[in-house]
Amino acid sequence: MPDALERYEALRASANAAYAAWRSPERPRIDVAIDQSSISNGALRTKAALERVATERNTAVDFGRVHGYGMQWVHPTVQITFPDGATVLYGPVREADAAAIVDEATGRWGAAAALRLGTITGERAGVPSIRQHPFFALEPERRLLKNLGLTDPESLDHYIARDGYRASARIFGRHLSEEIVRNTLNEAGLTGRGGANFPAGTKWGFLFGAPGEEHYLVCNADEGDPGAWVNRVVMEGDPHLLLEGMLIGAYGTKSKAGFIYLRDEYPLAIARMEAAIRDAEAAGILGDDIFGTGMEFHLRVIRGAGAYVCGDETGLLASISDERGMPRVKPPFPAARGALNKPSNVNNVETYANVPLIAAHGSDWYREMGTKAQSGTKIFSFSGDIVRTGFMEVPFGVSLAKVLEACGGIADGRKLHAIQPGGPLGSLVPASALDKLVLEPASFLPYDAMLGGGGIVFGSDRTNVLVLAEMFAQFVEEESCGRCTTCHGGNQRKTEIIRRVMDGDGRRDDEPNLMMIDRTIQFSNCAHGQLSPKSMRNVLQHFHAEYEAAMRGEDATLSLRGATRFRVAQPRDPRVEEAVAICPVAAFRGTPGARSIDDATCIHCQACTDVAPGAVVREAKPAAPRMVPIG
Amino acid sequence: MPLETEARAQIRAIVAEFRPEHGDLLAAMHQVQHHLGYLSREAMEVIAEQLGLFPAEVYGAASFYEEFRFTPPAQTNIRWCSGPACRLKNGGGIRDALLATLGLHDIPGDTEDGRVGLILGQCNGACEIAPMVWLEQHSTHRVEFVGNLNAARAIRMARTLRDGGTIEASIEEAHRA
Repeated sequence: MPDALERYEALRASANAAYAAWRSPERPRIDVAIDQSSISNGALRTKAALERVATERNTAVDFGRVHGYGMQWVHPTVQITFPDGATVLYGPVREADAAAIVDEATGRWGAAAALRLGTITGERAGVPSIRQHPFFALEPERRLLKNLGLTDPESLDHYIARDGYRASARIFGRHLSEEIVRNTLNEAGLTGRGGANFPAGTKWGFLFGAPGEEHYLVCNADEGDPGAWVNRVVMEGDPHLLLEGMLIGAYGTKSKAGFIYLRDEYPLAIARMEAAIRDAEAAGILGDDIFGTGMEFHLRVIRGAGAYVCGDETGLLASISDERGMPRVKPPFPAARGALNKPSNVNNVETYANVPLIAAHGSDWYREMGTKAQSGTKIFSFSGDIVRTGFMEVPFGVSLAKVLEACGGIADGRKLHAIQPGGPLGSLVPASALDKLVLEPASFLPYDAMLGGGGIVFGSDRTNVLVLAEMFAQFVEEESCGRCTTCHGGNQRKTEIIRRVMDGDGRRDDEPNLMMIDRTIQFSNCAHGQLSPKSMRNVLQHFHAEYEAAMRGEDATLSLRGATRFRVAQPRDPRVEEAVAICPVAAFRGTPGARSIDDATCIHCQACTDVAPGAVVREAKPAAPRMVPIG
Repeated sequence: MPLETEARAQIRAIVAEFRPEHGDLLAAMHQVQHHLGYLSREAMEVIAEQLGLFPAEVYGAASFYEEFRFTPPAQTNIRWCSGPACRLKNGGGIRDALLATLGLHDIPGDTEDGRVGLILGQCNGACEIAPMVWLEQHSTHRVEFVGNLNAARAIRMARTLRDGGTIEASIEEAHRA
């Protein structure tokens, strides 16, 4: 009977052949980037257009698929791989550009010169390497993302040919001690990437030592923080990396079954993870007889249904177990009572994704990146009022100011106003902190802030920080599971107060009340309640002048309802009638040429200034004498 | 044992593969909603029988999640993205404009004729085209992403749908400068 490593080598040999043929194809191939962001940008229409052009012309070109490379602001992108193995990245490629791309691929080099972004691999005269693009200035080396652009994410062969599953075959084949596997993770310094930062190897040890045979290994893929799509990139871009991490996790925790709890908002990630599981089972890498060792590990995807609080591990475990996804009191911890009431271990997607890399290259290699306190690299997603929205993988410790530079700075000539890391339970940090912040959890602590799961949103001076605070207040209120009165009642009150302040009806006792609510909510059971007051607390800590101004009915950003109004500035401008027509609440008064806006009816949606900028303006509300109640 | 109606038999077939104490409840509810558009009382009873739960437990779980609904869906749902990148680009104004255009008070809500619904969307990381909405057609399971909106475009898009226009026509309105 062949042992695990022989089985792996057999898989590897056929994978190598398939991958070599894909990397250096006989005729040019156009790979369209297909991922959630690309699809949102029309990648499927681009793909259909490319195929139509190729068919009409009967050209000698093939089509394939990759994941986007990180530069989402130029989506949809395509890659052309030439027979010599060189791969060039293009974007944004719209339907109208299809002919140029097909021409460029099939002998008319130069036809799509204007769309070239750089080479992914190989060389082409006059085309710089994509690695020279300023967006990637902070990425010394891709580790978690090493396969992006270089593999078809739906191909098991491609993953294997790029060293995938080799480390796990070695672990299973040589019957490595489970303790060594776990210790290697701790030596590497791998900690939970969901935000809690707990040492992964230690956590695995809890489940390993748990009684009974039925252990469940669970992946938290419920990436619910708006503005974070780190886990999505792993699952859509390299699904087998997560599977291999969980496979090693199953070994290190003696688990025979596991779940990937994946949010409903990621349909493509669900499809790719399910397909990857099927492919790995068919190849004998998952299932009943892993690499012929007789060991088993069965994985299933559980599709969430839009409950943010299921990102809390006990909420997630309840949700898997056919219950309402409400977090519960710990202990018992998941290692004692988890999925289906059996001992379980929960880690984040990115935590598992790091495991195969550490197992393959060792802890010293892993520690080459990052800082002393936080080793390794991490994927971050950057969005908001920046020029370049996208994701990158950087070593812990890079400067946030440099990140903003790589992202092209703040768009529209605006100024940075607020930094928002860590989602709704995260923080609002002022622009003045930019130069002092580095991407490492400890760096955010002096601001009573947290780095979180990897999403960072940059806000400009176009938006009052209370707008974000109100958004998160409503979010945590709606997503509160309702178990703790502190959380569901406290967050309702908090939202009401913030809205009142934004509407210009703030009261003197609002601030002490907000602080009291803050102190009270912290007595909630789970992290959702405990962390929910943070963003509003940050407003009072770091943006107090802005809060005070709102209390006076003033707002330099002109984004608060209570401090602004809409006015017809040029009544004779013909576009004013367009504004009248678009207004969804019929707030315009008077006759053509003599229009005005009734502020009491206006809902401040900005449709009028969208169609008639300059003719209709948003401006500061004239100061009115205002009674401020004492109580 | 309730009477076996044609509807019950259909639901039973939809959830036949699911088992008790196997972590199948979410999948069963998704499957039913995918086919029928919502979770009817009858459907929750059948799911409960299939999984060895009380109907109240199924309703209790279903009502916990944003995605499950208990009445038939609108023909087309506008899923409004509530994320921060959208909010920084007047996502709040777009929401209010959509509510006003459709004559609704809150999210989720449907127009009285059942033509258009407005439902809550969560960030899925396509923030380069913020602010955005998704258009979802239940009968075909078609999903279209409409990005780079502003309030005026959103209103034109919603008016087109409200007045009986197609998804194509409404997207065209949304992209008109």
